[in-house]
Amino acid sequence: MGDLFSNLGLGFSTVFQFVQWAPPFLGGLSIPLPINILLCLIGALVGTLVGVLPGIGTIATVAMLLPITFGLPPVGALIMLAGIYYGAQYGGSTTSILVNIPGEAGSVVTALDGFQMAKQGRAGPALAIAAIGSFFAGCVATVLIAVLGAPLTKLALAFGPAEYFSLMVLGLIFAVVLAKGSVLKAIAMIVFGLLLSMVGSDIETGASRMSFNIPELADGLGFATVAMGLFGFAEIIRNLDAGGEEDRDLVQQKVTGLMPTKKDLKDSAPAILRGTVLGSILGILPGGGAVIASFAAYTLEKKLSRNPERFGRGAIEGVAAPESANNAAAQTSFIPLLTLGIPPNAVMALMVGAMTIHGIVPGPQVMQKQPELVWGMIASMWIGNLMLLVINLPLVGIWVRLLRVPYRLMFPSIVVFCSIGIYSVNNAPMDVVLAGVFGLLGYWLIKHDFEPAPLLLGMVLGPLMEENLRRALLISRGDATVFFTRPLSASLMAISAFLLVLALLPALRKKRDEVFVESES
Amino acid sequence: MSDAPSHAPEKSILPSWVKGPQDFIGGIALMAIAAFALWASSDLQGMHGFSFGAGTAPRMFGVLLLALGAGVTVVGVLTEGPRLAVYAWRGPLFVSLAILCFALCIRPMGMVFSAMASFLIAALGTAETQWKETIIVGACLTAFCALLFPYALGLPLQMWPTFLIR
Repeated sequence: MGDLFSNLGLGFSTVFQFVQWAPPFLGGLSIPLPINILLCLIGALVGTLVGVLPGIGTIATVAMLLPITFGLPPVGALIMLAGIYYGAQYGGSTTSILVNIPGEAGSVVTALDGFQMAKQGRAGPALAIAAIGSFFAGCVATVLIAVLGAPLTKLALAFGPAEYFSLMVLGLIFAVVLAKGSVLKAIAMIVFGLLLSMVGSDIETGASRMSFNIPELADGLGFATVAMGLFGFAEIIRNLDAGGEEDRDLVQQKVTGLMPTKKDLKDSAPAILRGTVLGSILGILPGGGAVIASFAAYTLEKKLSRNPERFGRGAIEGVAAPESANNAAAQTSFIPLLTLGIPPNAVMALMVGAMTIHGIVPGPQVMQKQPELVWGMIASMWIGNLMLLVINLPLVGIWVRLLRVPYRLMFPSIVVFCSIGIYSVNNAPMDVVLAGVFGLLGYWLIKHDFEPAPLLLGMVLGPLMEENLRRALLISRGDATVFFTRPLSASLMAISAFLLVLALLPALRKKRDEVFVESES
Repeated sequence: MSDAPSHAPEKSILPSWVKGPQDFIGGIALMAIAAFALWASSDLQGMHGFSFGAGTAPRMFGVLLLALGAGVTVVGVLTEGPRLAVYAWRGPLFVSLAILCFALCIRPMGMVFSAMASFLIAALGTAETQWKETIIVGACLTAFCALLFPYALGLPLQMWPTFLIR
């Protein structure tokens, strides 16, 4: 317990750190600035700003804004990115309540009841409940991360290469099972990602692999490049052929009366609690994350409700539960990343990319060697959530105005912004071209109903998997049974196999599809 | 993601025993990618003793992808699935051109020119573009980026064409 408080203390002192800022125009005068808090605030604001734009999901938002954090010191950059992440998510729910096309997959369910509430003139309470639910979930999740962080790190340090490899297999299998759509196709996407991660020079021998003597490929495909192509450019192209101006059913009346009534609060309190619990659990699971959490929470509420027919007609629980769940999941998904160094979903994969660019190799060592980084980030999560609550409700008017920006002006801006961002990573024009190629690839994938998120996950885990596989086999002198004879590794493998079989069983598959489909009917 | 309308011309290309064209083509493309990767990594060293060579892992994943692609293809043959989606040409073409233009112009012409030019090319991607507002917004965005990246973020970007600043 004492550890917990001293760790959190370290975190908060990192967040509240003041830096002397002496700009030349003040003539030697220096002002103390709480730099990390400012970055958290800017991140949350910018994240919301982009996240609100319809048709731009959380992953796309984070990918697009990655380059603006590159110039910062590592702690500040990660705090800002985390802020961008929650901001984007919060922005997505604002969009789905006010417009009927949700900005991101995670808020599809919020749109069901949220938009109905907005139509009945109760947009204010819906937005407020979403914010309150998210804040509550965020607080719980922050404490959970702080509590679980240290013990899980200790566990991770006991892992050998064989266990690490098995754990990553488990993570990828989870990602498949919890993803939407065909299991086979999701696995194919992961393997495609693994294959893409092989491009570049081999870590051990330095041999150049599949790079065709193109100097820009010698270092491997840039992570930011692929992510921006697959999520930024591909989404733009896809939205364009849907006809960007598809009927945006924007709520026309002014948003007034933010405060929910007593009855609203009473109705939504248990939903928020359940959503938080469910979201926290699903977030920790590798492959889980915000999307599945909000779907599951909505389904649960509907099942538990005494009068389920209210759902889809503006039930406040239908907003409260998924919003709390997705925020809880968004945060607890940092647990596997920070303690084990394994990103459980695509957004966390982007965080790994960002960490790598700052020279940090995620994993249990980070918590020991750079505790201020990890705990600073955890503390900033709570502050970020508080900021979202404080900033966003008064700013709803601005977000509504943003929703009116026509797509024909928005998409060229995104193209240009992304191009500059990608170029600025390495000052390499070739990277921009590559991102364009991945944009077209992403468009093709969408057209064939392949999910790009598992691909990204595979791409990040690829080098780690290869390294651990190699080491495990070297230590065991080429004996591949090592993964099944070491107890910890064997149990991880057994769980993976079990999950995969479950996912392929027709009965369970139907159930899984039901969770996703229910919301659409 | 939307399914093609029933009069999609692509339908006629595929034989009638293919029940799910979308998966069928998708699987074949994956197999092609895997085959390409296997060919590209064929000159790399394989296993020696217990230790992996540079080519072992790429080949492993290549074979795996080949098998999975085959699986998706088989599913496409056997199960009823959506038809091929209709591709739009306008959006993808102009967005790609805009990206390409940016990549080609950024070194010789600097950011201000490249950003504006690629904004205008991208705007061709939809028929709804109204030029007056597009030019105004493009100019504002360019100005914003010209302030944001070099000043606020401290990234060393060249602003103006090389022949002007030399």
